[in-house]
Amino acid sequence: MTARSTKFGVDEKERFMLFLIAPAGIVLVCFEIIPILIGMNASFREWSLVNPQRTWVGPKQYIAVFTDPVFLKMVLPNTFVLMILSVGVSVALGLALASLLNRPFFGRAIMRTIILLPLTIAPVITATMMRWSFNDQFGVITIFLSCLGLPDVAWLSDRWPSFALVIMTDIWIWTPWFTIILLAAMQGLPPEPFEAARIDAATPWCIFRRVTLPMLRPVIIVCVLIRAIDAFRTFDQVWILTGGGPARSTEVFSVYAYVLAFVDLDIGRAAAAAGIGALIMLFVGVGLYRLVNRSMEVSR
Amino acid sequence: MIALALHALRRAIFAISIAVIFVVFVGPIAILGVTSIRPASGVFYIWRGTNFTFNNFVEVLHQSQVVEAMWNSFVLSTLATILSLGITVGSGYMLSRFGGWIQRSWFATIYIFRTVPYISWVLPLYLVNTRLGIYDTYIGLLLPHIAVHVCFFSWLMKGFFDGINPSMEYAALIDGCTRWGAFYRVALPAAMPGIAALAILCWLSTWNEFLFALILSGKRTPLITSTMAQFVTETGTEWNLMSATAVLAMMPALLVTIFGQKYVIRGLRM
Repeated sequence: MTARSTKFGVDEKERFMLFLIAPAGIVLVCFEIIPILIGMNASFREWSLVNPQRTWVGPKQYIAVFTDPVFLKMVLPNTFVLMILSVGVSVALGLALASLLNRPFFGRAIMRTIILLPLTIAPVITATMMRWSFNDQFGVITIFLSCLGLPDVAWLSDRWPSFALVIMTDIWIWTPWFTIILLAAMQGLPPEPFEAARIDAATPWCIFRRVTLPMLRPVIIVCVLIRAIDAFRTFDQVWILTGGGPARSTEVFSVYAYVLAFVDLDIGRAAAAAGIGALIMLFVGVGLYRLVNRSMEVSR
Repeated sequence: MIALALHALRRAIFAISIAVIFVVFVGPIAILGVTSIRPASGVFYIWRGTNFTFNNFVEVLHQSQVVEAMWNSFVLSTLATILSLGITVGSGYMLSRFGGWIQRSWFATIYIFRTVPYISWVLPLYLVNTRLGIYDTYIGLLLPHIAVHVCFFSWLMKGFFDGINPSMEYAALIDGCTRWGAFYRVALPAAMPGIAALAILCWLSTWNEFLFALILSGKRTPLITSTMAQFVTETGTEWNLMSATAVLAMMPALLVTIFGQKYVIRGLRM
């Protein structure tokens, strides 16, 4: 008999459940939840090297962040542009690549190996090699492009070329991820609908639009959800490629908070910025989750 | 005749697109690789001249900081992998096999904390680490690296266990096995292939992790990614040495991609 001993007690099964999640829960509380609370506390204080008292100043830091023109005009638009363009282009290219690789050809195994490389190499290394390949004077790709007769672009000294390079690097890293997952999903699809479409003399494009895409929809939606959440916190590529420059014009949210904390040494305001980012992500994350659940139910 | 030409055209387009993909993904890596074996004098026009040398690697490996950073990253990745998998396997099993309010609230918790940007909790963690005196030590780096995996890995582990038929565990329970025994002796061995794939990805992601290394490690416990970043921003002109360091740092990734491809793909598909 596993009746509860008291009204608020837990039975043997629930004890086992709590026991299973205890290690993960303790780590989560100590190293994620408590730091977040400390950060929230710091965000209401004047906390910097200049002021060791850490005076309580109320919501002043949040107001400062929200009235900072860099945050409003550069950081927020950049973060969302990066998120939307990177995820959108990677999922489209990933689909295209997966369809290409989803047929037997000579060298397919090699292509599959090569496609894994961007995912296993550290983003720091990827950004380094992109920075070197697109170097203004000696970059192999810069020189190659000017040999093709394209106008010279000073990749890392203007806002939009730098930001384009950041987005391209992000797409280079994440397209393979979509490719691998979508390829696996395509190979797991039942063959009958495709045979039926072929008997009806549908064109390959029509088969892709009307058969493949609808059947892949759930996978695509989950992938986009995971990637969108991760794209919001992009840091490595931006920091190595541009460092947020020129003139802070390519800063994204993580870089902005990092610079406040470790360059300006203003812990209080950095904590406020980090808190705002976490709040934005909470809404985006919960919203996306609902969207996913609803579209999953529709497709079922 | 037209059909034949069309067929040839289609094959040509297919071959060209495969070639383009190949160049796009191999190109930057090849540029880095060639730069790493060029002498300092030949680094700016890497396709001119035929001087190749391995001195860059020798020189880099003589810098104690690089060797130390690689060793630290190796130890940290290995420990973080073992511990992260150890603590999330139970959590994933619980999410998969049980229901009720505990399961629902735990699932909501890990979903919500997965959306929190890393900087939002690593920034205050820096304050905690300096206060506790574990800033720039193994323990101060290890625990956050485990915490970062709790949410996502619990989710992935749930997926492994969802894919395993629970009837074996019910049979074990009926035969007098404890709940713990059913988990440890029956479900865990069945989930092993998935866990092995996850272990490889976990090791690589810790080796590749940059933001934590940048904020939580310093001169005493340098990690490979933060050391590389320092090269780029401080000695940004010695591209031959930098490329050599980068090639060394990407070695584990190359080895895993070539020899453990099956596991990487399996891990990514979750």
